[in-house]
Amino acid sequence: MVELGRMFYQILVNGLIAGAIYALVAAGFSLIYSTVKFVHFAHGGVIALSAYMLYLFFSLWGLNFWLAVFLAILSGPVFGVLIDTLIYRPLRRRRASPTIILVASVAVLLILESLNLIFFGADVKSINFFTLGKGLSFGPVIITSLQIFIVLTSLALLALLFVFMKYSKIGKAMRAVADNKDVAEIVGISAERVYTWSFALGSLIAGVAAVLISLEQNIEPTMGTSLMIKGFTASIIGGVESVAGGVLGAFLLGLAENIGIWWLPSSYKDAIAFVILFVFLLFRPEGILGAKKSNK
Amino acid sequence: MLSAYFIHLLILIGIYLILGLSLQLAVGFSGILNLGHIAFFGLGAYTSALLAIVGWPFLLCFLAGGLVAMGSGFVLSFLTHRIKGDYLALVTMGFCFVIYSLMLNLDSLTRGPLGLPGIPRPEILGFGFDNNFSYLLLVTVIVLATYFLIKRITDSPFGKLLEAVRDNELATKILGKDTFKVKSFSFALSAFFAGLAGSLYAHYITFIDPSSFSLMQIIPVISIVIVGGLASLEGTVVATFVLLLIPEALRFVGFPSSILGPMRQIIYALFLLLILVFRPKGFWGRIELE
Repeated sequence: MVELGRMFYQILVNGLIAGAIYALVAAGFSLIYSTVKFVHFAHGGVIALSAYMLYLFFSLWGLNFWLAVFLAILSGPVFGVLIDTLIYRPLRRRRASPTIILVASVAVLLILESLNLIFFGADVKSINFFTLGKGLSFGPVIITSLQIFIVLTSLALLALLFVFMKYSKIGKAMRAVADNKDVAEIVGISAERVYTWSFALGSLIAGVAAVLISLEQNIEPTMGTSLMIKGFTASIIGGVESVAGGVLGAFLLGLAENIGIWWLPSSYKDAIAFVILFVFLLFRPEGILGAKKSNK
Repeated sequence: MLSAYFIHLLILIGIYLILGLSLQLAVGFSGILNLGHIAFFGLGAYTSALLAIVGWPFLLCFLAGGLVAMGSGFVLSFLTHRIKGDYLALVTMGFCFVIYSLMLNLDSLTRGPLGLPGIPRPEILGFGFDNNFSYLLLVTVIVLATYFLIKRITDSPFGKLLEAVRDNELATKILGKDTFKVKSFSFALSAFFAGLAGSLYAHYITFIDPSSFSLMQIIPVISIVIVGGLASLEGTVVATFVLLLIPEALRFVGFPSSILGPMRQIIYALFLLLILVFRPKGFWGRIELE
């Protein structure tokens, strides 16, 4: 019985760590979705590409670690805004439906994954900057200092994002466009500029997520798809247009997965996410926090 | 005499033709944006391969592959009949991902990532399709049967009903039609043909593993459907040939095969993007995607 209690707390903590990473993926994704109103599936690809940039700058070119981290985080918004400008903007201009843009974004994700394969190969990479410290014991659970760092960074960034959205001028403009694009444009907010800001900011969070993930896990060419599934599922659970909902959904998903792999092999993690996604899309597409009816 | 390489290419084109035409039935004619078509392809491949390995005759394996795909297509259409557009696209992608995870994890049945080797080549009434030329003939017969059957369906009054549901479901309901039944029939039939294509693929390559059925394999097929043009069977056929032949030029440039695969994917994805941006109806399409 003591053993079971220990397992339970460990699962709780593992869920929290997974949730902290998913929360960053989901927050970036939801932020973009809330203004542009289409599914930017290539968001996961931006994360994967930024992770590879860290590998390129730090492991291949031997740059100073913190400089490499800075450049990798910055590559997030560069790729995000580039994708928006080159692909999504022309589609918006000809008034393509969200469905068409979704198909396009899946194609973009495939291109990003293929580029990873071409330039970096199919084998997994790892950034061994923080040597795996011994786990610290907190009562019944074991957690590494890197994992504590990941959770704290994630929470700090989410808090910053919250403050930014609430008080900054750009944040307010983004919320205005998210709420009602036409009215926002009437009062002189340029929706196109807000879209660019959303992609920049959402992808900046993606860049940070990429760095945290590559410190903790291996980098693989197809990691973008799997991360996107997590981030997207988290957003749907919480309510796709709400960044706070996405964060809540991310922690719930992290927990659900870690409880799930108590019984199932760990490679079922992605499938668990998708089954949850399935259930929410079918029965509560507006998510837990979402109030609007979005069942089109 | 055709060269071995060219025969191989034609067999693959044949398999993609069945996939493209069947997806066209769902996406173009019925307005069901199914991005999980590869799941049905994979279900057909695995069903047929597993039955063949335990000794079932080819024709039964082949039909079973189609029927299992059809059954799951029906279940999926039942679950999703109330959602549309991008939500439907995401749910079908999710379905594909779940099937892929099952292939990867049901070790005792599918051998997981190791895949299933030693799938026998078909034998029908004592005639073995061991060489690729005879296999090409088999594939051709099935492609033609698929084409004419789907053409017949889409030209029939039922086909017009499908298009009516696609264009205005509410109006069709008002006319007293059971639109759910119409759509799920189309979805299930589309899945059936994808399952047949999967069986043909498995018995041709004689080895399958989950990597052939991952989510992203949908891009070449959806490119075929959209580049050819929605609701155009002729367009689908032309697009299949064009899209599958163009990347072959890369082979002659002399890229190593580890780069060839991803390059091919990039070409399919770029074609899709260019069409979506510049010519959303595709080349022979009669309607635009939503």
